[in-house]
Amino acid sequence: MYQSFIGLEIHIQLLTRTKVFCGCRSAFGEEPNTNVCPVCLGYPGVLPTLNAEAIRMAYVVARTLNCELAEYSLFERKNYYYPDLPKNYQISQYAAPLGRGGYLDIEFHGKRKRVGIHEVHLEEDAGKMIHAGDMSLLDYNRAGTPLLEIVTEPDMEIGDEAELLLQQFRRMVRYLGVCDGNMEEGSMRCDANVSVNRHGQGLGSKVEIKNLNSSRFVRKALNHEIARQEEILSHGGTIPQETRLWNENRDLTETMRTKESAHDYRYFPEPDLPPFTTTAQFLGAVEASLVELPLERRDRFIEQYDLATHQADFLTEERPLADYFEAAVEHGAEAHAAATWLAADVRKMLNRRRIEVQDSPLTPKRLAELLQLLAESRIHGKIAKQTLGEIFETGRDPLEIIRENGWEQITDPATLSEYVDQVLARHPKAVQQVRDGDSKPIGFLVGQVMKASSGRAEPRAVQELIIAKLELKVVQVLSFGGAISGVRRADGLVEPGDLVSLGELFAQDGFADSVRFDELHLGRFLSEEITPQDWAILLSEVASRLQTGAADGIVIAHGTDTLSYTASLLYWCFADTSAPIVLTASVLPHDKPGEEPHPHSDALRNLKAAVRKAMSGEPGVHVIYGDADFSPLNLKFEGLLPFSAPSRAHEAAGRKGAVGDRGAAESAAAGALSLGRFRNWNMESPVYRGRPISREIGELPRAELTRKLEQAVRSVFIAKVFPGMQGDTLIALMNAGVRYFILELFDTGTANLRETPYSLRKAFQHGEQAGALFFCTSQQEIAVDFSEYVTGHELWREGAIPMGRLTTESVYTRLLAALMVAENDDELVKLMED
Amino acid sequence: MSYWNRVLHDARRREAYTKFVRTQDAGLGAFLEFDPARRLDPPLAEHADPGDVSYAGSVSRARSRGAAAGGETPESALAGVPFAVKDNIAVAGFNLTCASRILEELQSPYTATAVRRMEAAGARVVGKTNLDEFGMGSSTDNSALGVTHNPYDHTRVAGGSSGGSAAAVAAGLVPVALGSDTGGSVRQPASFCGVYGLKPTYGAVSRYGLVAFASSLDVVGVCARELSPLQAVFNVIRGLDERDHTSQEPVSGPSAKVSVVGVLTGLQGLDPAVRAAYERTVEYLQGLGYALREVELSTLKYVVPAYYTIATAEASANLARYNGVRYGLRPERAENPDELVRIARDEGLGPEVKLRILLGTYVLRSGFQDQYYLRAQRIRTAIRNELARAFDNVQAILTPTVPVLPFAHGEGELTAFQQKLADIFTATASLAGIPALSVPCESTTGGLPVGMQLLAPAFAEERLFAVAGRLAEAAGERGLVARPENYPPLPDWAAAKGYELDWS
Ligand SMILES: [Zn+2]
Repeated sequence: MYQSFIGLEIHIQLLTRTKVFCGCRSAFGEEPNTNVCPVCLGYPGVLPTLNAEAIRMAYVVARTLNCELAEYSLFERKNYYYPDLPKNYQISQYAAPLGRGGYLDIEFHGKRKRVGIHEVHLEEDAGKMIHAGDMSLLDYNRAGTPLLEIVTEPDMEIGDEAELLLQQFRRMVRYLGVCDGNMEEGSMRCDANVSVNRHGQGLGSKVEIKNLNSSRFVRKALNHEIARQEEILSHGGTIPQETRLWNENRDLTETMRTKESAHDYRYFPEPDLPPFTTTAQFLGAVEASLVELPLERRDRFIEQYDLATHQADFLTEERPLADYFEAAVEHGAEAHAAATWLAADVRKMLNRRRIEVQDSPLTPKRLAELLQLLAESRIHGKIAKQTLGEIFETGRDPLEIIRENGWEQITDPATLSEYVDQVLARHPKAVQQVRDGDSKPIGFLVGQVMKASSGRAEPRAVQELIIAKLELKVVQVLSFGGAISGVRRADGLVEPGDLVSLGELFAQDGFADSVRFDELHLGRFLSEEITPQDWAILLSEVASRLQTGAADGIVIAHGTDTLSYTASLLYWCFADTSAPIVLTASVLPHDKPGEEPHPHSDALRNLKAAVRKAMSGEPGVHVIYGDADFSPLNLKFEGLLPFSAPSRAHEAAGRKGAVGDRGAAESAAAGALSLGRFRNWNMESPVYRGRPISREIGELPRAELTRKLEQAVRSVFIAKVFPGMQGDTLIALMNAGVRYFILELFDTGTANLRETPYSLRKAFQHGEQAGALFFCTSQQEIAVDFSEYVTGHELWREGAIPMGRLTTESVYTRLLAALMVAENDDELVKLMED
Repeated sequence: MSYWNRVLHDARRREAYTKFVRTQDAGLGAFLEFDPARRLDPPLAEHADPGDVSYAGSVSRARSRGAAAGGETPESALAGVPFAVKDNIAVAGFNLTCASRILEELQSPYTATAVRRMEAAGARVVGKTNLDEFGMGSSTDNSALGVTHNPYDHTRVAGGSSGGSAAAVAAGLVPVALGSDTGGSVRQPASFCGVYGLKPTYGAVSRYGLVAFASSLDVVGVCARELSPLQAVFNVIRGLDERDHTSQEPVSGPSAKVSVVGVLTGLQGLDPAVRAAYERTVEYLQGLGYALREVELSTLKYVVPAYYTIATAEASANLARYNGVRYGLRPERAENPDELVRIARDEGLGPEVKLRILLGTYVLRSGFQDQYYLRAQRIRTAIRNELARAFDNVQAILTPTVPVLPFAHGEGELTAFQQKLADIFTATASLAGIPALSVPCESTTGGLPVGMQLLAPAFAEERLFAVAGRLAEAAGERGLVARPENYPPLPDWAAAKGYELDWS
């Protein structure tokens, strides 16, 4: 087992007005050799003068990195020769850098890690040498630009962590306004060093890697280099101390120079600059320059505005957007709405016009006003978008635009009532359909009112009015297969049925007025036969009912076997529902109407309990089974109770051999409240409500939803790790198109990574190449956390993503939901870890 | 002195002056460039401001002089006075050769702060003087661009490295000249040429525009035949400059009053003539009423090795920029940048310069710094401390400036190594960073001048002027040293050449 140690040397150009030791402008991309003077060209007799802004920014960065700030920092000459270095020495810091002993925290797949900062020091940049044909050209515009070097401790283990640290550091300096962090243009640069050794033996020989022009290359080069070194070590070889270059075309590192040819920089104190000594006033200015950092701000946004992590991430990525968002909220915008609009419509407008949000005609105040108009239903969504366009076009206030165009909605109940009455009178057929339990014509009726009012009626108010006028206060019960809606054939076998029979039974119980039974036209099936298409139909039906407000509660009758999947899927899609969504199931079917009901069937009892829950108005997604109200997440169908009860030796034939159990359960049913045994794993108190993965899912057209779900399901594989499992099997699956694995590991997340055919390491390495992701759950009731065992740690190093307390079923459906909305794998991982 | 501020602005007098200098300097070799007209109307803004400058927060600095160089200096202080500048100090419009082949063609794009301040006070640069290449030497024989003779004896050297400035002043070609002093480069040639030579306190005068040899030792110094112009020049050029973070306003404190003068005990290796002059000066001081107290400097024997270790170390970095890439000598052809630099340095730098760069590189090698560079720095601290202790009891110290008399050109009389050993008294003040003034005295043999060096604590230049002034008074009308034969004053020369000009 090997251990790797990664450290970074990051250089950033500070955004000062002038260069660090002279009065030349510090600017990128100008005519060569125009921002130069005798000082930065190294003419004889010139002296450096320290730029006050540069030293302040340098201390601000060091302070933000939690460094100990030097009261007395010393400049030194670093002597080396290169034509682009005007003085042939670089003024830098060595013995007494301005900052030491700091840290930066990163979060890698849910694990927070502290990376030490060895030191921070200020120096000057060199010029640029360009080789053109048989000539070498020099541009000294960059010479003397203030450069801050940040050296981390070798606290990272894999390239992914280094990439993350670099990205986070970049955001940090952009927030501080001290660097634009552009790695392509070189205003931020990174060299990496890595050493690999046998576990527990400390640092190995240090290999430096240069030519890393993006954070992605940092990751790739380091991971390549670690693999290369491990390969050498595992064959008994040794690693020479050297500097290597990353070859981005060939995806590998190559020797640049060995230790023997290393420089002797002959550092000595710069006699032209006295040591810089801090004063209370200077330190006060440093403190005044500190800002709330992206991570803190993100966490605050989640907390304060109840945003999803990915929303908060988006908003806080750049400081101007975060400032803008808060300004809009300050002006009265609702936070969620502002976040959604900024991420979608506003972003589109900005991209089209290629402007930054802070420079756009859409001021935070205007956005707030627009969203308020929308929230107050004075305009509807389509008009809001049109108004947004107008604001960008004309730079005027939303209210002004709306008034001028006569876009304000009609919300006055009396006026709306007139329109609705007219429409209802004109469409008796649609009205009858709705009264008969079909909610679809509601949309049609709303549309008619909109048409009649030239689009100015407020649709939600119209819809509410229609529902009120048609007196539609209903709990809708959807049948989604399973024994609960099944029937027992004459031979005793259970086959798919429908719920109509139960509806009739309900009538006898005096429930019926307010309970509407909808049978989804899915064909008849048992819950083990569910397809992605079935889910797509269910999701869109639920969504349309929630959206039209046609139901005050929804009950879904389901089979027991796959209940934990459907329940969690509904949660990921509708976790913020205000109308209760209640799933229920039964072990035994009710029998056909008119026939003697099965004496121990739990179907009717569970269904009634579910309907009561749905009518209770308690928001969220619930699973009602027996007397219990389970969370839809981490639901485990653990079996049937009690096994020990005397069997009535019911029907000889049964499916999956469960009939015997069923018999046992039945016999116990007379006394027991529940026949089956469900339990929520890893959960102290049940979770019913929360934030959905995305609110968009339910709004997708059914065909698209089906397509996306089918596509998602095809790319996912659930693999339960077992002794003797071979990495090659997973590779074969990858070759067959699987991109997302849910690995059900042992314990807190362990698996075999020892170098044998039974190791999963090859699968991970192949996965890295193939772009596969591994989400990890446990076979036991315990949270997956890679910090416990060596093998877990190795897994984490290989890029496996721990899913914490979530069970395999919940992770699977979450993955499906996330796959339907994520634009790329980065976003997917964020949604999964949120 | 009185005629000096009239020579430049009147065309006829300027013509006479120009002729005078050209004629007199033809056999002397003090100037590398001479053109009194060039700086008569110097351009005002020569280069950009120094940027968003920061001074170390702990030191609060008066910025009165920094913002506008010489802004508060009365225009009249040096009105119309011509002066020469050692060719390692930048003056826009003139070359900045440092007497080196590698910079032979370099025109300075800017002007040193000291020069700007002089000109702001009305003085004008008339030419650039010869020196040992990059200030490295004690004879000016290390110049790659010309030979400078001692005005008292053309077979002898004018001293160095500011030999050109000292010779020009001694020959009466200019009343004052700027030089630079790293280990004695103003004082030693002043001593050889019978003029005053001031090395101010380190940091008292801005080094901006002085080509660095050893940055922690380099100081802009002044040569003058008489004391009052020297003092006037010093008062004009001193003070904080925002372009030089090591420059300072004078610290208030040390009183100008001198009552006790220290004299060195146990002096060894002095030329008998130097020893005699030293003893006679001691007697003079006694006669003037100064109390004398013996001072023993135990660190004296470490001065030369410590000085050369530090100076060469810094020089190795300071001279690394001369590579022919951006300016200066550049070979016609080179296969690659490395070869270009190699050829430029090989052809452009003289042997003494190469020697010192190699030495400096050697003492800075990693793993050897403790043995050489850091050890030299510890010695430097010891020397500074010992002098500070000495100044508890005396207000000034008298030493010979140089232990030898002006020597003959070449190494016949004094080898390069012996020349370095002769830096002992001057380098002491350099390492300690304290001010020192070489005062001209007549020697007993052959009419060659001898200089005596006065030392004072940092920023106590006034004490040096006070003691030197008393000595000059005592010497009376004739001065301490006779003017060299063949170098009459300008009015006399002009009259002899038939220029009918009124100099009064
Ligand atoms: Zn510059």
